[in-house]
Amino acid sequence: MENSTDEYRFQSFDPDTQMLLKTALKDPSSVDLEKVSNIIVDQSLKDQVFSKEAGRICYTIVQAEAKQSDGNVFRRNLLNRLQREFKDREDMRARSIHEWVCYVTFICNIFDYLKVNNMPMVALVHPVYDCMMRLAQPDALKNEEEVDCLVLQLHRIGEQLEKANSQRMDQLFFLLRDGFLLQEGLTSMTRLLLLEILEFRAGGWMLSSTANKYYYSEISD
Amino acid sequence: MSTRTPDRRTDATSSRREHTRSGPSRWSHCRKRGVDGSMRTDEHERTDEHERTEGRHSSFTTPESSGPVSRCAASSDWGSQVEDNEMRRDLHRDLQRYRRRILAADGPHRERKASSGSSGSCDSKEEESLETDEGVLLRRQKQISYGKNTLAYDRYIREVPKHLRQPGIHPKTPNKFRKYSRRSWDQQIKLWRVKLHAWDPPTDNGTQEDNEEQLDLGDIMDIELDFPTLAEPGPQAAHAGVMEDPEGTGTPVKVQRMDAAAASDVV
Repeated sequence: MENSTDEYRFQSFDPDTQMLLKTALKDPSSVDLEKVSNIIVDQSLKDQVFSKEAGRICYTIVQAEAKQSDGNVFRRNLLNRLQREFKDREDMRARSIHEWVCYVTFICNIFDYLKVNNMPMVALVHPVYDCMMRLAQPDALKNEEEVDCLVLQLHRIGEQLEKANSQRMDQLFFLLRDGFLLQEGLTSMTRLLLLEILEFRAGGWMLSSTANKYYYSEISD
Repeated sequence: MSTRTPDRRTDATSSRREHTRSGPSRWSHCRKRGVDGSMRTDEHERTDEHERTEGRHSSFTTPESSGPVSRCAASSDWGSQVEDNEMRRDLHRDLQRYRRRILAADGPHRERKASSGSSGSCDSKEEESLETDEGVLLRRQKQISYGKNTLAYDRYIREVPKHLRQPGIHPKTPNKFRKYSRRSWDQQIKLWRVKLHAWDPPTDNGTQEDNEEQLDLGDIMDIELDFPTLAEPGPQAAHAGVMEDPEGTGTPVKVQRMDAAAASDVV
C-alpha cells in the first residue's frame, strides 16, 4: 500500500524536516506552523519541481488545521511570507532568475490549490497578474526560462485568472502580441511558445485539434 | 510651568509602557490563542517566548491578530485580506440561513393568526428588522469571535449544553442579525463577556473561580463578620487568619477559636 505522503516528494529534505512536514499534515496544531510555512517556501524558491507540488501540501495542511483547531495560522503565515517575497521580487529577479521563476511557479500553484469556499483567493489575483505582466516585459521575453514559466502558468490558471479579472488578462495579451510581433532577438522557441499561448487563449483556453496537431504532434512522434 | 507638562507626559507614557512590559496581564491565561494565533498549550512558556521575541506581552493585542496595526496596514496584509473575505462569505451564508429559519418559524404562526385573530406575531417583524449592513455584521461577528476565542467560552460550552441553558443565568451570544443601536449592541457584548468570565480557568495564585456559585450573598456576609474580630488584640488574632466556613452556619470559626482561647486564659 502506497504511503500517501510519498506523493509529496519529501526526499529532498533531511529526515528531521521530513518528520516535521509529515506531522504537520496530520497533526498541525502540534508543530510550529510558522516554521513549517517558511520551510516550504524556502524549498519552493530553490526547487522548481517542488514548487509545483507545494500547493497541494499547503492545501492539505490548511484543511487539516481548519478541521483540527479551526485555525488559520499556517495560511496566514504562508500568505504573509509570500507577500514579503512579492514586495522584493525585483531584487529577487536581479539576484537570480531561477529563484524568481520558482517564486512565480509557487504563487501560481498556491492560487490554484488554496481556494476559499471553492473560489480562488481574491487577495492573490492582482499579485499574480503583476508577476505575469513582469514576465511579459521585453527584458524577460529574452529569457526562455521566463517565457517557459509564463506560458506554463497561463496554461494552468489562465482561465481562472481571466474569470477573476478579464481586463488585466486583455492587457497581458496586448503585451504578448506586441512581443511576438515586434520584439527583435527572440529565439524561435520563444516565438513558438508565444504563438501557442495566443492561440490557446483565443480558443477559450484550449487548443483546437488542428493547432494541437501542429504544436504537439511532433513531440508524440 | 510649560516645561513641566512635557515631562509629566513622557513620565506617564513611559510608566504605561513599563506597565505593559511588566508581564502577562490578568487575563492572558484565559486566551485560547496567543498573539500569533496559535493555540496555547503551555501558556507560560508561550508568553515568555513572545515577550522575548516580540517585545510585548501576549495579551497586549486581541487574540487572533498578529499585532497592533492600523486599519490601512491590516487590510493590505494578504493573510488578513483572505480571512476577511472568508468571514464575509460566511456572514452571507449565515444570513441566508437565518432568513430561512425566520420564514420557517413564520409559517405556523401565520396560521394561528388567521384562526384566532391574535395580534401580530413578532417573527414576521423579524424579517423587516434584519441587520444586513455588511460592515455592521462584520464588526459584530468580530466582536463575537473575540468572545468565543476564550478558554472561558470553551469551558462554558463543554459544561453547559444548549438545551440545559437557563435564560438569565447562562450567557447567550447576542444575535448579530437583529437591529440594535450601536450602544445597545456594545452593551450586550460587554455583559455577555462579563458573564462568560465566570468560566475562566483558575489562576496560579490558587484563587479558584467557582463556576457553580458566583459570589453569592452568603460569602459576602461571612467576610464582613470577620473584620470586627481583627481589631481584638492578642497573638491568636494574627495566626487565625480568615477561616473558611465550610458548613455555612454563619459564625466565623475564628471567633469561636478566640473565644475558646480567651476562655482558657481566664481559667
